[in-house]
Amino acid sequence: MAIDLEKILRPIDTPLPEFPAKYMTLAGGEQLVIRQVTRDEIPDILPYVEPLMHVERDYYDVVAARVYSELLAYYNYRVQDEYVLAAQIEGELVAVVNGRIVNKDIGMSLHTLGLRRGLRVGAHTFAAKMEYHIDILGQKEVLIVAESPIGFRRWMIEYKLEKRFEIPHELGGCPSWALTKELFDKARKSLIVGTRPVPEALLAKAKAAILPPSDPPKQAADLLAATRSLYDSTGTILLSQRTKLGGK
Amino acid sequence: MEKNIYAYKCRRCGHVQYPYRTICRNCHENDHNEFDIVPLSKKGKLITFTHLFNPPSDFETVFLTLGIVELDDGNRVTCQLNIPKPKMGMKVTGKVEVVRKDEYNKYHGFVFYED
Amino acid sequence: MREVYVAGIGITSFTRLEYPLVEIAAYPGLMAMKESGIKSIDQLYVANMGASKANHQTGLASAVVDHMSLTPAGAEAIENGPASGASAIKQGFLGVASGMYNTVMVIGAERMREVNNLEATDFVATLTHPLAEYIYGVTLPSLAGMFARLYMEKYGVTPRHFAMVAVKNHKHAMDNFYAHLHEEITLEGILDSKDSATNNPMVADPLRYYDMCPVSDGGACLILATAEIAKKTGKPMVRLAGIGQATDTHAVHDRKNPTDLLAVREAAKKSFAMAGVKPKDVHVAELHDAFTILEIVESEEVGFFEKGQGHIALQEGYTKLGGKLPINPSGGLKAKGHPVGATGVGQAHEIVLQLRGDAAKRQVKNAKIGFTCNFGGFGNNVVCLTFVKEN
Repeated sequence: MAIDLEKILRPIDTPLPEFPAKYMTLAGGEQLVIRQVTRDEIPDILPYVEPLMHVERDYYDVVAARVYSELLAYYNYRVQDEYVLAAQIEGELVAVVNGRIVNKDIGMSLHTLGLRRGLRVGAHTFAAKMEYHIDILGQKEVLIVAESPIGFRRWMIEYKLEKRFEIPHELGGCPSWALTKELFDKARKSLIVGTRPVPEALLAKAKAAILPPSDPPKQAADLLAATRSLYDSTGTILLSQRTKLGGK
Repeated sequence: MEKNIYAYKCRRCGHVQYPYRTICRNCHENDHNEFDIVPLSKKGKLITFTHLFNPPSDFETVFLTLGIVELDDGNRVTCQLNIPKPKMGMKVTGKVEVVRKDEYNKYHGFVFYED
Repeated sequence: MREVYVAGIGITSFTRLEYPLVEIAAYPGLMAMKESGIKSIDQLYVANMGASKANHQTGLASAVVDHMSLTPAGAEAIENGPASGASAIKQGFLGVASGMYNTVMVIGAERMREVNNLEATDFVATLTHPLAEYIYGVTLPSLAGMFARLYMEKYGVTPRHFAMVAVKNHKHAMDNFYAHLHEEITLEGILDSKDSATNNPMVADPLRYYDMCPVSDGGACLILATAEIAKKTGKPMVRLAGIGQATDTHAVHDRKNPTDLLAVREAAKKSFAMAGVKPKDVHVAELHDAFTILEIVESEEVGFFEKGQGHIALQEGYTKLGGKLPINPSGGLKAKGHPVGATGVGQAHEIVLQLRGDAAKRQVKNAKIGFTCNFGGFGNNVVCLTFVKEN
């Protein structure tokens, strides 16, 4: 009985080509590897995403909570055609990105979550996602929204994304923007970064284990720290929230 | 009607200065505001330029081309450039156009084109 | 004029600080009082640029003096753009030297990250000429880009030299606990590899992302006092021996010679003359590298190198820690951070640390004469300080 029910509840995965891993050199000279992760690796990633749900700045809490739910749903076969890419340095997880395939022609970009403070991998991983949808899966366009103002300027304005405001994006139903194949081809030179194939040793290290982030974004340490000082310059609201939740 | 950007000619010594200063930089002898206005020349030579990729928020373009032009009358101006491939020393001609808009105001300034 | 000594110093981390501006100002003051044992002061100067615009707080000095319970000491805020810090130190010096005060506390504090990045860049852009520059959308990076292009053409400085400044300063900052960026970068990563275009995008060509200092919050403090008060602290005696300030035209296009920073030249000359030392006597310097090109140009204008030779000296390794004249051992503005009002005081803090012998891994051996250059506007208001260690 349970197996039959599962057959109904579980969406049937459309067979999709794997994202061919690529690597690139970062500002500090380290090698970043971006590869697709399988369902089995999701439980390794979840504990690294969880602490970020409590970092109340830069929309980390919103993004981390949403990513956590998307990864969990992917692992438990409760989402249609999601893919997850991970960016690693020496095996250490530094970014997680995901997205969904709506249909043959349209992709839905979900999130980009950075797991090492100060490392600018947003540009590299966003480009990898777009490459997956348009070059590898051969889709016509990808629907995108930005949760933060910097994301908006760097993607919507810089790549001149087209407005698709009549389509509510899956992330909160907000008006979508689209990266079409033409826009992608125009921006190809600056958008495609990194090299393939990844050298064997480098790829093997990345595949061997997903190591914990060494310097993740953290909550402010001091109780007096205020996140939005214009409205709460003494941190009083934060203090009382913590007391309510049973903290110090 | 063609617009101009004006420089200020001292009534005592004739020195022309741009931008405005209340006392003549050359003689220091003039009375407060004792200047005649003279339109700046519209032709000049491009001294230096840059493409600014993080323009202020009220500019909706990806980048802004800015430059410093040395005009034929000897004055220098900062300006926007409407030149796809600027080169140091190139000859340029300017027009006074709207260079910046915020919620309520339009600001006019020099935009230079390739000769 | 009496001689003026540094009796106490304090600093916060230069980074993103989620504390209110008055806290950021008070903390280094409290640290300075703790390390010096000084319990009361005669006057407080607070150096700050953006409190009224970004932090919605005017009369900052009055707020800080009460926040630290130092009333009824006099208090004033000093605003001189990015040179506010050194200007406030100049005021503190004048107070003690004239005999009017015995102990003056100078605090530099800035909380730029209270507003978002675009607003922070705009507030710094307000120091440009309103009619001749601001209306065109000119921001400080664009002025630096245009200046850098001229310098490259005239003296043969290349983007590689800019990148070398960034790599050097980032390396220095790795040993500085208080620095904003603890990120070792390599020439390969930011310039040579094909991924460098994404790692290091163009911001105002020819200057790129890693040629610009970060947007930081932070505070620093110096307590200036008479010789007897300084002696009581038991710390090595460091004297503020020379101060020089000079100005130049407001609009950058109006400068006499577009590749000269005359205000730097003049201010440094005055500072060295007052201290009775020459540029070649300096052992360690903190220059204002808000943009990497500026470190190269300032090192020439203040007199350390011939005009047009600064980039050669950099290439030869003169200016890194261990070289003949270490510049920006703290990481400079590029890696230590640039909370606009606090920078000048932060530079002085590093020099005093060096002259006291307390700079640990960043220590320049036997440093006896130190120099700072605080660059306001885009070279139109510069304040230079010379510190001397006395026995």
